[in-house]
Amino acid sequence: MKTHRLRFVFLALAVLLVATLLITGCSKKTESGKTLYLYNWTYYTPESVIEKFEKEFGVRVVIDYFASNEDMFTKLTGGGSGYDVVFPSQDYTEIMIKQDMLNPIDPSKIPNLSYISSFALEKATYDPKMEYSVPYYLGAAGIAVNKTEVTDYARDWSIFADTRLAGRMSMLDDPREVIGDALAYLGYSVSTVDPKELAEAQKLINEQWKPNLVKFDAEGFAKSFSLGEFWVVQGYAEGIFEELDAERWGEVDFFLPPDGGPMYLDSMVIPKGAKNIDLAHQFINFIHRPEIYAEFLDRFHFPSTVHTTAEQLKKNDSFYEVEDLATYELKYDVGAYLAEYDKIWQTIRYVN
Amino acid sequence: MNVKQTTVRERRLGITYSSPMGIWLTVFFMVPLLIIIAYSFLTKGLYGGVEFPITFDAYLQMANPNFMRVLLRTVWVTTLATALTIALALPCGYAMARSKHQTLWLGMVIVPFWTNSLIRIYAWIAILSSEGFLNEMLKTLGFIKESLPLIYNQGAVTAVLIYMYIPFAILPLFTTIDKFDFGLLEAARDLGATKPQAIFKVLMPNIRSGIITSVIFTFIPIFGAYTVPLLVGGKDSYMIGNIIVDQVTKTRNWPLASAFSLIITLISTLGVLWMMTSTARERARIKQQPLKDREDTLGPSHNGLTSAGRVS
Repeated sequence: MKTHRLRFVFLALAVLLVATLLITGCSKKTESGKTLYLYNWTYYTPESVIEKFEKEFGVRVVIDYFASNEDMFTKLTGGGSGYDVVFPSQDYTEIMIKQDMLNPIDPSKIPNLSYISSFALEKATYDPKMEYSVPYYLGAAGIAVNKTEVTDYARDWSIFADTRLAGRMSMLDDPREVIGDALAYLGYSVSTVDPKELAEAQKLINEQWKPNLVKFDAEGFAKSFSLGEFWVVQGYAEGIFEELDAERWGEVDFFLPPDGGPMYLDSMVIPKGAKNIDLAHQFINFIHRPEIYAEFLDRFHFPSTVHTTAEQLKKNDSFYEVEDLATYELKYDVGAYLAEYDKIWQTIRYVN
Repeated sequence: MNVKQTTVRERRLGITYSSPMGIWLTVFFMVPLLIIIAYSFLTKGLYGGVEFPITFDAYLQMANPNFMRVLLRTVWVTTLATALTIALALPCGYAMARSKHQTLWLGMVIVPFWTNSLIRIYAWIAILSSEGFLNEMLKTLGFIKESLPLIYNQGAVTAVLIYMYIPFAILPLFTTIDKFDFGLLEAARDLGATKPQAIFKVLMPNIRSGIITSVIFTFIPIFGAYTVPLLVGGKDSYMIGNIIVDQVTKTRNWPLASAFSLIITLISTLGVLWMMTSTARERARIKQQPLKDREDTLGPSHNGLTSAGRVS
């Protein structure tokens, strides 16, 4: 008797489980029944923009997030990812074009391509005609200074050599960024493959900057900055200000050192194997609609680096300006030479 | 004959019953492990991934003083944190086992698990930073004037690691101590043992299996720790877990990452083997005891009693 009842309970549970799966699987169908699959950096496209797109085109948008280009690339090379639009940075956009992983962009389906700035396209040397990629945003990491604690400081990379600020500063936990900053400060290319230049950069970081840093941090430094633990941090403006209440923004001096440094250009691409190629084009076109693009810029207080008309439609001030990027240089893929960057990074990161 | 047939049938049934678990383990545990082993012997791809031919490159790269330094640091931090964790967990487990409110204490040990570990690490940042709760409290109480450097160093890493893994040590210790017959401690005292003698000669040998389990449960996860040294550590806090992540996400060197993972797996396996052999030895020891109709827990305590008696 008892076992019978138990078996019945299990059966009922199984039926219930299958039923729930079926119901939840069906309930979210939209008018057109289409779903657009995005693969994007975390918090990089405002929720409000996605909602507007869903409403206007009667589709559902599903977003997966990645935290690094390497994660994204690994997943895409794994095959059959089924994403319609992906947002790689310049080095990986180049790799993906070379490896024939992308669908060509059909310019007739994206009239808003006319808004893309020549500034961005000049930098995108791997795809200046937007045959495979459409720029999404071009920016750079900078330095944020807590003005209530620090009043007298150099507004360039040499701030990290300032011994008075020892124990209160952090730089990003990112070899290409930190080594790139030192290279730019010394007047070299941020993607150099010259061992002598790299050795100089290594010396500068290890002997002058590192002794004054608390740590190399890409995760918690913004929190520590907002708590007053760190006074000078290298990082992305949007991440730093996100941790601070808007009334405290006046306490922060955020700047891009004029000596230049590494810069990134994220693009929208349609990978091979995408199922909704038309919808993907519509999405890219939608993003570059001036008022929509302005909404994206406003959300993160970005300057309009890749769009020619959105600047006028913006309501918020930017944390930095397009002109600040004049001396900046895109981080290109260094291929097999990356191993040399890693060797230098080991002496910076593993040895104290 | 008949008996033999049944055992054969039973044995076959055993295979049937265990096959779902066996298949599960093979597919989701053994296969990934084999992939890691295979990857560690392949050549690194230019853009991540692995390629042929088979090489020992990854293992040769490991013999690099920078990596060795991190490996040694990892072993040192792990040993220290594990030892301190057990030292703190023992009295906790003992107090819980003797308490009348066991469920309450158990709840207090388990409840923090319901919060994501990252959030708990960030909470520690808020506690330990120079303007954090702890420093502010010490300042208000007048103990210090300037903030102490409590975070972004090895001490912070060790402290937070202990916090993260102490429940894994308390729970097995509590269960073994709970089964212990505390009357034996009184008996030891009656026979002239001092309090520490009673604890170390009667209680400790009896809860050996619990201690071994706790050591394994804390040493293995701490050895592979990644988020704690990354978030509360400073310039000098890198551990093997961080190298593995770096080699996958920054340097695109999967074979090297696999080789390091294999080292962690090997050390963990050796630890588990050690635990299994010591419990087996323990069991063999219990079987040799002259008393036949005694509860399992009484076996070793009998042994403990005699040794305590010899002391007096």
